[in-house]
Amino acid sequence: MIPEDVQELYTRLLGEELSFEPELGPLVPSETLLELAGGLKALGFQFLVYCASAHFFAEGEQPEVCMTTYRVRRLGRGTVSVAFHLRVPYGTATPSLVPIWAGADWQEREQFDLVGARFEGHPDLRRIMMPEDWEGHPLRRDYPIDTPHFPWR
Amino acid sequence: MKTLDIGGVSVPAELVKSSWADPWLDIDDYDAESDLMALNMGPQHPSTHGVLRVKLFVDGEICVKCVPYLGYLHRGVEKLCEKLTYVQIPSVVDKNDYVSPMMNELAVCMAFEKLCEIEVPERAQVIRTVVAELQRLASHLLWVGTWGLDMGGAIGGGGTLFLHTFRERELVLDLFEDLTGGRFHYNHHTPGGQRHDLPAGWEASVKQVLTFIEGRLPEYEDMTDNRIFFARTKGVGVIDPVLLMELGVSGPVARASGIDHDLRRDAPYCVYDRVDLRVPVETGGDCYARFLVRMAEMRESIRLVRLLIDSIPPGPVVGAKMVKLPGAVKFKQKEWGSAYSAIESPRGELGTFVIGEPKKASPWRCKIRPPSYHLVSLLPYICPGEMISDIVVILGSLDPILGEVDR
Amino acid sequence: MSFALSLLTGVVLGSLAMFVAAWSIWWERKFAARLQSRPGPTEVGPIGLLQPLADGLKLMQKEIIIPRAADKLLFVISPAVAAAGTLALFAVIPWSETVGVAGDLNIGLLWIFAVGALLVLPQWVAGWASNNKYALLGAMRSAAQSVSYEVPLLLSGMVPILLAGSFQMDEIVAAQQGGRWFAFWPPGPGALAFGLFYLCSLAEANRIPFDIPEAESELIGGVTTEHTGMIGVVLQLAEYLHTLVTAAVCATLFFGGWEGPGAWFGMEGFLAEGLHWMVLKTLVLFALVFWIRWSWMRYRSDQLLKICWHYLIPASLALLAVTAIWVRLVEGA
Repeated sequence: MIPEDVQELYTRLLGEELSFEPELGPLVPSETLLELAGGLKALGFQFLVYCASAHFFAEGEQPEVCMTTYRVRRLGRGTVSVAFHLRVPYGTATPSLVPIWAGADWQEREQFDLVGARFEGHPDLRRIMMPEDWEGHPLRRDYPIDTPHFPWR
Repeated sequence: MKTLDIGGVSVPAELVKSSWADPWLDIDDYDAESDLMALNMGPQHPSTHGVLRVKLFVDGEICVKCVPYLGYLHRGVEKLCEKLTYVQIPSVVDKNDYVSPMMNELAVCMAFEKLCEIEVPERAQVIRTVVAELQRLASHLLWVGTWGLDMGGAIGGGGTLFLHTFRERELVLDLFEDLTGGRFHYNHHTPGGQRHDLPAGWEASVKQVLTFIEGRLPEYEDMTDNRIFFARTKGVGVIDPVLLMELGVSGPVARASGIDHDLRRDAPYCVYDRVDLRVPVETGGDCYARFLVRMAEMRESIRLVRLLIDSIPPGPVVGAKMVKLPGAVKFKQKEWGSAYSAIESPRGELGTFVIGEPKKASPWRCKIRPPSYHLVSLLPYICPGEMISDIVVILGSLDPILGEVDR
Repeated sequence: MSFALSLLTGVVLGSLAMFVAAWSIWWERKFAARLQSRPGPTEVGPIGLLQPLADGLKLMQKEIIIPRAADKLLFVISPAVAAAGTLALFAVIPWSETVGVAGDLNIGLLWIFAVGALLVLPQWVAGWASNNKYALLGAMRSAAQSVSYEVPLLLSGMVPILLAGSFQMDEIVAAQQGGRWFAFWPPGPGALAFGLFYLCSLAEANRIPFDIPEAESELIGGVTTEHTGMIGVVLQLAEYLHTLVTAAVCATLFFGGWEGPGAWFGMEGFLAEGLHWMVLKTLVLFALVFWIRWSWMRYRSDQLLKICWHYLIPASLALLAVTAIWVRLVEGA
């Protein structure tokens, strides 16, 4: 269930014609992201649950895309979480949410490291899990699970 | 007591600080005159609870800047999930949070059930709740002991506390061994229910163990009821609730700072909506408050298991179409879909976000949201200004599990 | 002749002290095991009695690793200096009326204070020479702690000196003859002085709750981090011996030395005095160290120093003044 105030915010920022499944949340264009995030935080969504990126192959006319999902939560009794997604061509930077939720820092670093999503305005976008000289982003779908890496294997 | 309303949660006013330590402090700007020493704590260090490496810049013994480095235990679990079927995945994620494996399995199973729309029988739901609470008990018992080690050393009073809590944890592990055949990596939950039904007489031995452990809990309180313990924990490592919310920290650490939030009560899963859960909340925000919260949670877990253990309904433990062999059952997604489900693990919100690919038995992307990752991300904000001895105690009181941080 | 005799006694007692220290590890392990509801060593010999031998043999085979950047000479000799210094403390302890190396040294207690204070030096050097940051931090803590606790240790050690009117260990014991053990007489100051002295000795010997120099959960091993194999063992043995000698000094200063409780009731012989009483008292006081060690956690270094400067030093000064008044007024010295 999407709470009313969130529904209102979504409608105001994303336009009325936009429809989405309540569990999943809307697809947000990059330009509105920061405004939407700021609006959600003002509505009491203080808690950034996670940020997850996924890589999708090019299909027909569609370019290779990187989908990023953010989920935020309102704490306390009757907690409620809402999500919103971004879909951009792979390699394109999306605005970083670090100015809004400090916790986005490590979350976005992890997605950058593993999936290869780019975040613009992130203060410290470095690898976090893999060694600094690692090549490639392991969670890309075309990254073979048995890629040899000297000297490890 | 004065409280502030922050994001719908009322938190104690005196805990809310205006500023936190700057995690991006440029140490060259800090003080040109002083000699800062870079001290690498870890990856091999007795108190980093695994293979966390924390680079501390210390001025004497006072930390000025703290930079955690992760990835020493990165095993690519999320990549593995893309290759394995939905039924195989629970046995892999067991190794994430190796202190409470049951919770990991439960988290991914619930997400897959949501994604593939699988029904879970009543009996399985109750067993899941019972097992989760026992796991929470075991996990917190381990925490009390290892935290004692952080404060009192392996050869000292901490070691005594440690060995006593381990004795009790052993009993819970014995129960799990009876149930699943494994002591650590249970492979018990499966999407749609459980692999194993309860062995005969398990309920009775659970009750016996609970009675024993309940009698021992006051012993730990006696062991820690002394000046030295208070001096090391009270007022040490006070964490601001706003910072906790910003960084996505939940669980006992958040509850010790006055954030009244528990997914078991606020977003019930399994059969938590049937029991009236008392969520312990402390307002101290310091290490001692975290100790109190975890002690209270252990008692609460014992109470919940007692409530549920006698009322496990009869019936199957897996759904009708399930086969117990891994790989024999293939859930197939009809269309692209995604699901997120979260449980309250002993360390906080443990969630799984999964994107399902059509006509495939393995997920396209499986993101595990570990609570410990967020706990470790606290360090750069709270460590500066503390002494090395306190950093060890604070890190211990957060209870991060590095298997879960690095995955 | 008398020098040769002293030398012989010294060698015998020194070896015995090492021997007792080794077996007291067994005793401590058993003690701690019972405290933690487990059996402790059982495999080697009856009730694990030969465990120290097995441990010693194993440790002798261990490679001694000297870090490349360490100051090799200081790194290797500092444990030896620490052990030698601790053994030197045993010299002035009168084990009985006849057994002892230099119990009649007229500055006996002063010797203990002086050599005891010097022991911080090998500790510090061991930490410094390791060229390890953790060892250095441990060495710094060790120096700060030892120098601070030296003050209340000396002041509370002055109490038996005042009461006995002598620095000589023999005479301090003699002054306690007839059941007037300083821990019980004068009532109050004696017991307090014992408490203070014992507490400060724990800190001097780096025992929990004051073991911050080697706090293994924070500093890995403190000064001993880089010391491996036998040189590490010698460093730890020195610490052990320090605890043992502390117990012996306490027994001498406050518990009547070799006098047994039989003397209180006018008995003579076995029950009234002898070497065994001194050894027994030492071992009991030594066990008290374990008891404290395995029950409590450790203080933070600043809290530790605060306890010393804010509470222990004023308390010991006041105690000294009270004892001086007692000696002047009651005993009319």
